[in-house]
Amino acid sequence: MWQVLKSVLAAFFGVQKDQQRKKDFEEGRPTAFIIVGLLMALVLVVGIFLLATTAAE
Amino acid sequence: MAPKLPPQQPLQTPAEQGNDGAATAGHVNEGYHHGPSGLMRWLLTTNHKEIGTLYLIFSLSMFFIGGIFALVVRAELFQPGLQLVQPEFFNQMTTMHGLIMVFGAVMPGFVGLANWMIPLQVGAPDMALPRLNNFSFWLLPVAFTLLLSTLLMPGGGPNFGWTFYAPLSTTYAPPSTTFFILSLHIAGISSILGAINIIATILNMRAPGMRMMDMPLFVWTWLITAFLLIAVMPVLAGVITMMLMDINFGTSFFNAAGGGDPVMFQHIFWFFGHPEVYIMILPAFGIVSAIIPTFARKRLFGYASMVYATSSIAILSFLVWAHHMFAVGLPLVAELFFMYTTMLIAVPTGVKVFNWIATLFQGSISFETPMLFALAFVVLFTIGGFSGLMLAIAPADFQYHDTYFVVAHFHYVLVPGAVFAIMAAVYYWLPKWTGHYPNERLGRWHFWTSVIGVNLTFFPMHFSGLAGMPRRIPDYALQFADFNMASSIGALLFGTSQLLFVLMIIKCVRGGEKAPAKAWEGAEDLEWTVPSPAPLHTFDTPPQFHHREG
Amino acid sequence: MRNLAGVVAAIGGSVWLTRSALADGWNMPLGVTDVSRDIHGLHMTIFWICVVIGIVVFGVMFYSLFRYRRSKGAKSAHFHENTTVEVVWTAIPLLILVGMALPATATLKEMYDAEDADLDVMVTGQQWRWHYEYLGEDVSFISNMSTPRDQIDGAAAKGENYLLEVDQPLVLPVDRKVRFLLTSDDVVHSWWVPDLAVKQDAIPGFVNENWVRIEEPGTYRGQCTELCGRNHGFMPVVVEAVPPEEFDTWLAERKQAAAREASGVDREWGMDELMTRGQKVYESVCASCHQVDGSGNPPVFPALANNPALMEERDRHIATVINGVSGAPMPAFSSTLSPVEIAAVVTYERNAWGNETGDIVQPSEIQSQLE
Repeated sequence: MWQVLKSVLAAFFGVQKDQQRKKDFEEGRPTAFIIVGLLMALVLVVGIFLLATTAAE
Repeated sequence: MAPKLPPQQPLQTPAEQGNDGAATAGHVNEGYHHGPSGLMRWLLTTNHKEIGTLYLIFSLSMFFIGGIFALVVRAELFQPGLQLVQPEFFNQMTTMHGLIMVFGAVMPGFVGLANWMIPLQVGAPDMALPRLNNFSFWLLPVAFTLLLSTLLMPGGGPNFGWTFYAPLSTTYAPPSTTFFILSLHIAGISSILGAINIIATILNMRAPGMRMMDMPLFVWTWLITAFLLIAVMPVLAGVITMMLMDINFGTSFFNAAGGGDPVMFQHIFWFFGHPEVYIMILPAFGIVSAIIPTFARKRLFGYASMVYATSSIAILSFLVWAHHMFAVGLPLVAELFFMYTTMLIAVPTGVKVFNWIATLFQGSISFETPMLFALAFVVLFTIGGFSGLMLAIAPADFQYHDTYFVVAHFHYVLVPGAVFAIMAAVYYWLPKWTGHYPNERLGRWHFWTSVIGVNLTFFPMHFSGLAGMPRRIPDYALQFADFNMASSIGALLFGTSQLLFVLMIIKCVRGGEKAPAKAWEGAEDLEWTVPSPAPLHTFDTPPQFHHREG
Repeated sequence: MRNLAGVVAAIGGSVWLTRSALADGWNMPLGVTDVSRDIHGLHMTIFWICVVIGIVVFGVMFYSLFRYRRSKGAKSAHFHENTTVEVVWTAIPLLILVGMALPATATLKEMYDAEDADLDVMVTGQQWRWHYEYLGEDVSFISNMSTPRDQIDGAAAKGENYLLEVDQPLVLPVDRKVRFLLTSDDVVHSWWVPDLAVKQDAIPGFVNENWVRIEEPGTYRGQCTELCGRNHGFMPVVVEAVPPEEFDTWLAERKQAAAREASGVDREWGMDELMTRGQKVYESVCASCHQVDGSGNPPVFPALANNPALMEERDRHIATVINGVSGAPMPAFSSTLSPVEIAAVVTYERNAWGNETGDIVQPSEIQSQLE
């Protein structure tokens, strides 16, 4: 699970080592990546929103 | 106009073409192809190559119609004062120019390329849903005939800008608006069906051995684009249906007097509109990512990060819509949120540009016409990206918003962006489509006149916008005169130089230097394993795909 | 080495050219408020950031194009990824953007702080003119473009402020905080004066806020920036900023004039004076849609001349001008025209262009309807 999160974060940043990417594609389950990816997208939106609220005060 | 390009055979003489009788040579070769001939062949075709050709010809015709409208606009703006057209007609020209170019030229252009190239690039015999494919194409001529016919109706055609903000487009609109809504509905259905077909093809029909991360980037970008289309075209359909109700059935979605909200229109429109912007540019990224490695004879740098960047852009495109609305009176928190998300989009976009340049670095570069267009894309799209970055700064956007600075920005990303990418793709894949290389001399002339024309047209618009010229005005104050004259001259140059493009295509279809299966030395993808011109049916037996290691 | 010197000279030359071009009125104006200068500063900062990034990126690109030409025998290398480089070129833009977001956030917060204004001005967009009301002062007027049609059609030479001149400018005091409340009677408009760095949409049914503290007296010109129909290009904004004392005098005069206007309701008006006044109001307010000769612009804007149905219904005519038409472009004029003006314009419409009904509408009648 930790590895899935790490890979998703790497994808969000846009950079990942080729080896790890190959491992993910061969061993990981796509559903896990999709669910964590969607959750992280939500976290990103909420995060930016909180940042904007803080900055507006 | 019956297209003179049966892709299944090299064209020998025009005379043979003329007698496209019951059994032409091409059909004899294809034992099981017993389709009708003549016009009915094109009307009923389910072949992805023929439908691709139809899309591309349609797109080119719309490019010229939309271009003529733009030239009417530029002619009126050549000098201050009203000379050629009245404001009513001027507004119809700007509106129609935008609608035709977005929905009629750029989008069908990319769909045409997808039809031709996606099955060839993934090693599929055809699109997954061939009959649906035929239907989605033939909806388009219907939609755009209807749209163009509104110009002849009493009260004239749409005159409220391609963004058709309510209530100008509802309570205050000409009676023809209902027809405009119907035509957009039809075009929208066409796009959705096309997107479904593309997704089904990419996910189900790849050659054995080709994994997702082996797909060419044109396929990747189109896959993501297709998901965007499916997500947002229904939103467009929703907003125009609400308009329809407001106009004809007495509802008040966008009428404040009835409890509605005109700003809600803008929110819904841009929730569609911003992903739409990326629909028009992501496939271009895919094209450029195919062409640059070919002519640099070097593998694309950072393939995986290109895929990630495309996905990031797609996701972020749903979170930035209100940056088109910084001046409508959003709450401060919303301004900040949309400013931050918009600035974030610059990162994946920048990564793409860096990757292309890293691909060029230490390559072995040659400059055929497709490469010229792809390189111009990188430079000029980046300039459009810079002005986009400036527009993202919300406080400054209060000064830029709805001026010619914005017009300069989105034309830089759409004309030398999307349109140059389509042209690059045409030059790149014409050998595969026709079996002949495009005429290099004509190509160069077309390229240089286009580059000069585009910059002469759109670069001065940065200055006229900063100096204070609002967009969509038929007449302007005297201090903007020089910029506008330069823009108009540039537009005329750019417009007429497109005749060279048509001439090049016609010459290439009719003959020219014969192209081998692998027409470009550095080209790697599957389409270059089938003969040139590609026979009507390819990959009846799926090819075995061997992915590259390391 | 000679190459390098050439490159440096070329870059230096173009930077110098850009700077002089920007100084020469091709750029965003510096403006006359704190906010406008802050915005100009942000604009120039992000511009120079883009220039620097552009020089680096295009520099590497053109160097590669030049250095690795196949025609010069370049052989291609085989690398196609490098994690370090990719991390660096993702992180650097992120840092630049954070650096840009901080001052932008500060300026935006300043722009949104419209509290504690010394003067409130209601700005109402109408097709195709602006209506200004000094809230709490009983002073309001309409500001129309004053450029003659002949200049637009090319029959006369164009004046210095072609398309950017109005019959009555918005007069504002310098050194006082003025709050704008913006709305619209019909479609979405947008009120923009570049030198004040105020651009705010005027939206029917909603009120937006913005503010300005002008630091130098002068005349500042702008335009409507949201497409609002046929005469969108002919809807200028002119602000005249004057010293506070001068402004107070001006406002007092306007108040007296307004009081005279209001007292006009109490007396009986004659046909001739109503017609004269009515023609002025009609040409300033109604003619942009219904045309100077009352022929209208069917099907959207009905004709007023030769319209027997309208002439039969005097009461509906008055009610339409006061309340507008729901679901149609006709706005309600009860808030933008005085009772005298409404009475005059209805009288004018019922007696001009061959509509010889002989009807006289008295301001007192309008007044009672408004109450």
